[in-house]
Parts: sequence; structure tokens; C-alpha cells
Amino acid sequence: MKNKNKLSLWIISILSGLLFLSPFYIVLTNSFKTQKGIFTDVMGLPKDFFTTNNYVEAFIALDFVKSFTNSLLITVGSSLIIIVLSAMAAWMLVRTKTKLSSFLFLVFAAAMLIPFQSVMLPLINIMGKVGLLNPGGLMFMYLGFGSSLSIILYHGFIKGIPKELEEAATIDGCNKLQVFFYIIFPLLKPITVTVSILNVMWIWNDFLLPQLVINDPKWHTIPLKMFYFFGQFSKRWDLALAGLVIAMIPIILFYFVAQKHIIKGVTQGSIK
Amino acid sequence: MKTSKGWFSIFVGPILFAFIVVVIIPMFMGVYYSFTSWNGINNNATWVGLKNYVEIFTEDKEFLDVFLFTAKFAIVSVISINLIGFLLALLVTKGLKVSNFLRSAFFLPNLIGGLILGFIWQFIFTKGFDAVGAKLGIEFLRGWLADTQTGFWGLVILMSWQMSGYMMVIYIAALQNIPDSLLEAAEIDGAGSFEKLIHITIPLVAPAFTIGLFLTLSNSFKLYDQNLSLTGGGPYNSTQMLAMNIYNTAFKFNDFGLAQAKAVIFLITVAAISITQIYYSKKKEVEM
Amino acid sequence: MFKSKRLLALTIILVMAASMFFTGCSKKEEVAQETGKVEVDVFQFKVEIAKELENAARDYEAEHPDVKINIQTVGGGDDYGAALKARFQSGNEPDIYNVGGPQDLKDWTSKLEDLSNEPWVEKALDGVLSGATMDGKVYALPFNIEGYGFVYNKGIFEAAGIDPTKIVDYASLEEAVKTLDGKIKAGELKEKYPTLEAVFEYAAKETWVTGLHTSNVALSQEFPSSLDAYNSKNVEFKYGDSLKKIIDLQADYSSNGKTRAKLNAVDYSTQVEQGLAIERVAIIQQGNWVYGGVKSIDEKVADNLAILPMPVVGAKEDSIPVGVPMHWAINKDSDDASKAAAKDFLNWLYTSEKGKDYVVNKFYFIPAFKGYENFEPQDSLGKAVKAYAEAGKTVPWVFMGYPTGWGMDMLGANIQKYLAGEMTWDELIKDSQERWTKERS
Repeated sequence: MKNKNKLSLWIISILSGLLFLSPFYIVLTNSFKTQKGIFTDVMGLPKDFFTTNNYVEAFIALDFVKSFTNSLLITVGSSLIIIVLSAMAAWMLVRTKTKLSSFLFLVFAAAMLIPFQSVMLPLINIMGKVGLLNPGGLMFMYLGFGSSLSIILYHGFIKGIPKELEEAATIDGCNKLQVFFYIIFPLLKPITVTVSILNVMWIWNDFLLPQLVINDPKWHTIPLKMFYFFGQFSKRWDLALAGLVIAMIPIILFYFVAQKHIIKGVTQGSIK
Repeated sequence: MKTSKGWFSIFVGPILFAFIVVVIIPMFMGVYYSFTSWNGINNNATWVGLKNYVEIFTEDKEFLDVFLFTAKFAIVSVISINLIGFLLALLVTKGLKVSNFLRSAFFLPNLIGGLILGFIWQFIFTKGFDAVGAKLGIEFLRGWLADTQTGFWGLVILMSWQMSGYMMVIYIAALQNIPDSLLEAAEIDGAGSFEKLIHITIPLVAPAFTIGLFLTLSNSFKLYDQNLSLTGGGPYNSTQMLAMNIYNTAFKFNDFGLAQAKAVIFLITVAAISITQIYYSKKKEVEM
Repeated sequence: MFKSKRLLALTIILVMAASMFFTGCSKKEEVAQETGKVEVDVFQFKVEIAKELENAARDYEAEHPDVKINIQTVGGGDDYGAALKARFQSGNEPDIYNVGGPQDLKDWTSKLEDLSNEPWVEKALDGVLSGATMDGKVYALPFNIEGYGFVYNKGIFEAAGIDPTKIVDYASLEEAVKTLDGKIKAGELKEKYPTLEAVFEYAAKETWVTGLHTSNVALSQEFPSSLDAYNSKNVEFKYGDSLKKIIDLQADYSSNGKTRAKLNAVDYSTQVEQGLAIERVAIIQQGNWVYGGVKSIDEKVADNLAILPMPVVGAKEDSIPVGVPMHWAINKDSDDASKAAAKDFLNWLYTSEKGKDYVVNKFYFIPAFKGYENFEPQDSLGKAVKAYAEAGKTVPWVFMGYPTGWGMDMLGANIQKYLAGEMTWDELIKDSQERWTKERS
């Protein structure tokens, strides 16, 4: 009885695993076919139509090294700014017991409910007038949009840290900045990992905001370049599929390296 | 410099500044623009009062369709994502050897950006399904995304595939928090696995369901990237969702005022859903 | 809080300074000061020529060392208008950008430089500047001339024993289609064309194919030019019945003839690459721009293509629509140095020998200007369009004069509904008329 159960569970598991991975399989096999191969036989392996040329062309068209670097710079830069500034703000909000402080926290939390589309049009208008566009402006906007969730997460974590540590340090003559950076910030490491994972995943994959804000081709990120492939009048599935695979590789590598943290981060981030 | 207020502004000021410029000011400006006839190209927005709102509720038949489509999609995908997510969580906590590998496989899709996933599925539905359908003579598999029906289910399938692994992770955490002693005690009392699920597991995982529903519902309502890359709203705009409708009203028809009025309605809806949900789930948890 | 005002100001300045630091030097004035070069920002939509246009810009820079040209291409014609607006919204305005027809000219009036005195104006072919002219002034330079019609595979026609030169009106077209359809269904062409499964493929998913191009065939008989369409308060659909015939013919004899709703999933690549290029179908309604796409799959098929007329019953039956798809415009608000350089670059691109070589042999354009005697189109479809133009068998493109969004988002969507059986033809006509009148009021 037990074994029979185990076997059927095992079969269900394998089947559902394969089902979940099949889209990747279809994309991967077709990315090695010529256009003709894709149109005549989608499901088969790329036998007669095998080519690696798609990858060469897609790599060049994506200007991959450059767009990857841009994505990396923007993602890492924005995440760093968000982490440092939101941790500082959250600590202060927890430790200051004033009406203003609770009110500000409430506003940050409530802003989680604001969908991006409802502020998109005026925002682009303002930022354009001030001349804050391209990576600098983009990072600034990510700081604004990312502040809510990051502050909430830090806030919840800091509440559980005893005050005695800080008080001891203050008596030793440290000022607030020193206290924060020498004592508090290192203690926040577990939640910092969570916050950075959530921000990195969001910013790396974001498409709409960069599309509106980045108007200098020098700064195109991977999703923006991907969009270029799918220009309405030139749909090239052969190149596009290779491009999709190339675009997915960094994320999948990152996942394998930081899997434990990612899963933990997602769990914590959603339970708040 | 030594005053606590000074420190307060040093610590909170920078991020608050960004937050106000990026979120708060545009929100109020957006509400203001929704009462104007702004066209987005030049900067003269004339005040027209409630005209845009009246137009949405009386003349713009499409907006109602879009709204209903979005709501229908949100409900169906919330059920499907959470159900699949929960089942996957049960599956990988059964202690099989392949569990770890499966967990990674199920979770993988939601790391990848919505735009890219939409393109992947567009290929699968239009080319993959079509080829299989042609080979095996299954008419049902051909012409996917050609009508509202298949477009709708295409979006649901895509979102279920993307999000259920994410929900699975949350449900795994909840399942692992259930004390083994409870389950063992039930087993001694002669409860079958189905009874255990109904009477112990599900009630104890209830708080996680709340989180899951909240996350998926607001996500489904705000969907844009996947909608754009999978169906582009076609055919005849029948698979267009709210976010896309707002974008198109602004950029295709040059009617930024009307778009902004829709955006305000959108904001109120999303906020209302979230608040109701938080309120009810908190109440429920207390009762339990 | 009052004491901290100064501090807040300080932090704001710090944040601003930091973000300025990250913005890098995209400010033109700074660059100009550093290098002494005039910068010209080009924001254009044609993906197919992106690479070659870059090369042309490099060649121009080699001849004009004091100028730097930055080109940015936006994927997809559908998104170009939106992207351009976002770009203007953002204050980082391009010097050279693209505009379509009269509606675009009106929308962008405040940003259009008058180009009436440019050297290329008098070299323009008859009538090509109509879509770029407003109140007697020329505001934009036509990209090229394009034509579309029923692009067909000559080999298949030959194998089926159909003489394409005999197809000069709707009756003869319909007869040829029926003959071909019969032979395909009877399996007579299986041996030579194993992948052939239908006469037509119709990309109803692409609303520009249906709502702009197909509809134009009938409406160009109603409005003599896009400007007339633009100035018209109403649309009559005088030739609505023949429009229905052209749509039905393509739908009924496509691979989805029995399940017309499924045509709404057929996109450009299914029609062109997975249709015509792999010889799955014999005819598609498309233009000379598909040559490159077909060639990338099968050069033999590409070189064996020609174009049949798109007949409007009761009006012109032996012609194809030929027009200017897009124009180059120059931003009135750019600084004078950039404007002068932008004008010179466009002029160089279309009138210098080097530029002409790019236009014809690298972009595969059919030029809208005189003086290209040494640069004949080399591809089968370019030649076909040119032959129609020289024989005077053309009708104009008037869809540039449709109300904003009317053609693609409204009529294109209605044609999808009609194919899906959600709307009768009469309802389609009525709804389209009402929407036109509403947009124009």
C-alpha cells in the first residue's frame, strides 16, 4: 500500500515537473533551428535544420555585453541605494516615537496599494521637466517606488532588536550615524538579503518604467533590447528564441547560485 | 546638528524626498489631470470638470468590457494559481528524493520577466499548439489566441505557470510549520490522509491562503507586461486588461485626461480590493 | 521641524547631485563644449534599416568631422507614436523624428521645422509630398515609396496553369483563385509543392493589414488623397461591397476558410514567413517590404514573386495602392546648429551618390525622388511596384488621413469581429461610419 502510494506520487511529481519545464524545452530546441525548421517542425529536435547562427546574430542584435552591463549597473546601483536609505529610514522610524514618525510609516505602507499605471503619466512629465532621465533618473524612481516594501520589511525586523546595544554605544560617544553603520546595519544582514533579492528580481525584469524613462540607446537594458526583436514588422522567431534564451541565462545562473536566499527572501517578503 | 529632529531628517529625508517626488506628487497631479483635457504633447491642460468620468460611465462601452474581463481574469487566475500552488506544495513536502529538484523547477518561471514569458508562451500557443494540432488533427489546439476565449485561457495558463511556484514557496513554509505531533495524533485516531488534509492541514494553512490571495489578486489586476507580449490585447481589444487600456488611451488616442481618469478609477479599485481583503482576513484569523 | 529645514535642503541637494552624477553627460551642450561637435539625435521607427542607417551615419560623419549623429530605433510601428510622445514628454527631444500623414502633421505642428526651401523638394516625384504638406508648406521628407497588393508565387501559378497577365479585374482574379483552390484540394500540386495547403493567408491579427491596407483599397476610391480623407467629416463606404468581396475572398480561400475566427491569430510572420516563404500558400496581401523577410528563408521563392492588382469592383480594378509610409521631420525647437546639421544629413542621405546607394541598395527602398536613374531596385517586388507606378496603375494611400486610431484600433478590430462572426457586415459599416463622424466632430 505504502509503496504503491509512493510510486504514484513519484509519477505525478515527475510528470508535473516535466510539464513545468516543457516551455523551456520548446524554446531551447527551436532556438537552434533555422526559420524554415521552426515553421515546418516545431516539436521535433533540430535535426536537418540545426544552426547556431541564431545565437551569434541574436547576441549581436541584443548588443548583449552592453545591455547586460546596463541591466547590472542599474539593478545593483538602485538596489544598493534602496537598501542603505530604507534601512536608515526604517531604523529611525522605529526608534522615534512621535506622531510624525507613525504617520510617515503609515503613508509608506499605504503607498503599496498605488498601482504604477496611475502615477506613470504625470511622473514622466515631471521627471522630464527636471531633466532626470536615463540611469540617474531611473535609479531615483526605483528608490521612490521601492521605498515602501523595503521600509516595511526593515521596520518589522528592527522592531525585534533590543535597544540596549544602541544605548551602550551611544554612551561610548558614538553619534547616530556611527551607531547605525557600526552596530545596527550588520545586525540586519538576514533581512538585507531578503530586501536585496526582492529588489533585484523586480528591477532586473522591469520593462515599462525603463521604456518610458530610458531614451538614450546607450543605456538600453535587456528587456528593452528584447522588445526591439519583436518589432511589429519583423518578427523573427529564430533570432527571438535565441535572444530569449540568452536573456534568461543570467537569471537562471543567479538562481542556482543564490537559490536558498531567493526562496527565503520570497517567503519572508510575502508574509509581511 | 545634535538635535534628534536633525538626525531624523538625515535618516528619513533622502528616501522620503524620492518617495514624495516619485509617488505622492504624481498621484495628486494624476487626480488633477483626470479633470482636464490634457493631450500629452503640449502642456496646456484645460479644466473640464467631470467630463472624463461621465464619458467613462456613459459613452465608453469598451471600458466596462475591459473592466469585466480584468475582474474575470483576476478571479479565475487567483483560484487557479493558489490551487496549483497549494497542490505543488503538498507534492514536494511528501519527502520524495526528487523534491528539491522539483521545487527548483516549479519556482523557476517566476524569476523571469513577464515580457519574456509572454513571448515564450506566444510562441508555444501560436506555433507549438498549432503544430501538434495539425499533426494529430486536434482542431481544438489550432488558432489559439485567435479569439477571446483562448486568449483568456492563454493568459490564465501563463500566469498559473508563472505564479504558482511562487505561491508554492509560501505554502511550503506554512506546511512546515504544522507540528508533526498533531498529524501523528490524528493518524492514531484513525484519520485517513484526506481527513487530515481537511481537518488539520487546510485550517492551519489558512493565514497563508490570505497572503496568497492578496498577492495574486492585486498582481492579476495590475497585469501589463504579460498582456502586452502574449496577446497585445487582441483580437478586437477583447483581451485587453485595465493597465493596457490606460496605456493605449494615453499613447494611442492621445487622450491623457481620459486615461488619467481611468487610472484614478483603477487606483480606487485596486486599493479597495486590497483593503477589504486585509480587513476580512485579519478578522478571520482572530476568530480562529 | 523648522531647524531641520536647512538639513532637508542639504539632503535634497546631495541626492540631486548624486543622481546628476549617475546621469552622465547626456546633455548636448556639455558634449558640444567638450568636443566642439554638433550632435544630431535621430529617433526613428524602421527596424529593418537600423543597422544600415547607422553605417550611413558613420559615412556622413567621416565626411563631416564636426557632426555626431546618434540614432535610436524603436521596434514596431505600433509603439513608435507612443515612444515618441514619451520621449517628447521627457524633455529629451530628438532633432530628427518620423511622422506619418496629415493627422501626425497636425498633432506635431508645434514641433515641425518648415522644410520648403530644402534642395530635395524640387527633386520629389509628382504627388509624393502631398502627405507632408500643410497649408502649402513642406514639413517632412518622404522615406520612400511602397506599394502593396496580392503578392503571389509565380511558380505555383505556372504549375497550376494560370496566366497571371490575364488577371486584370475582380472577375478574372476570382476565377484564378477558384481554379487554384480546386487544384490544391484535388492534390494536383502535391508533388511539386508538398507544403502548399491554401491559396491565401490573411493576417487579421495585424490590424494594420486589415484596418489600414485592405480598407484603403476601397476608401482610396472615395477620397482622392489622404488630405481629403483628413478633411472629410464623414465616411460613406461607397465601395463597401467590393471591400467585403476582397476580405471574404482572402478569408474563404485561406487555410482557415471554414473557421474564419481563427484568422484573428494569424500574424505577420505566419502570413509572410510561415505562409508565402515556405510555399504553404500562394498569395498574400502584402507589399514590397516583405522581400527581405522571404529572402531570409528562401531566396528562390523571394526572387520568384510578383504582384497582382487589388481590384475594386465598380472603380479601378487593375491597380495597386502606392504611397509614402513615413516621413522624416525635424524638430523646430532644436538649436540652430543641430537643425542645420540635421537638414544637411537628410539632404545628403537622399541626394548624394553615397546616400542614394544606401537608400536603394542597402535599405531596399524605392525612392520618392528623381535622379535615381543609376539606382534601379534590384528585388522582384521593388521592380513590380515600380512597373505599376510607371504604367500609372496606382491608387493613393489615404489611410494616413483616417482619424487617430480609427483604422487600426476601430476598423481593424471590427474586421476581426466580422471574421469571428460577432458582427455582421452592415453593423461593421454602420459602426465605422458613426465612429468616424464622432472623431471628426
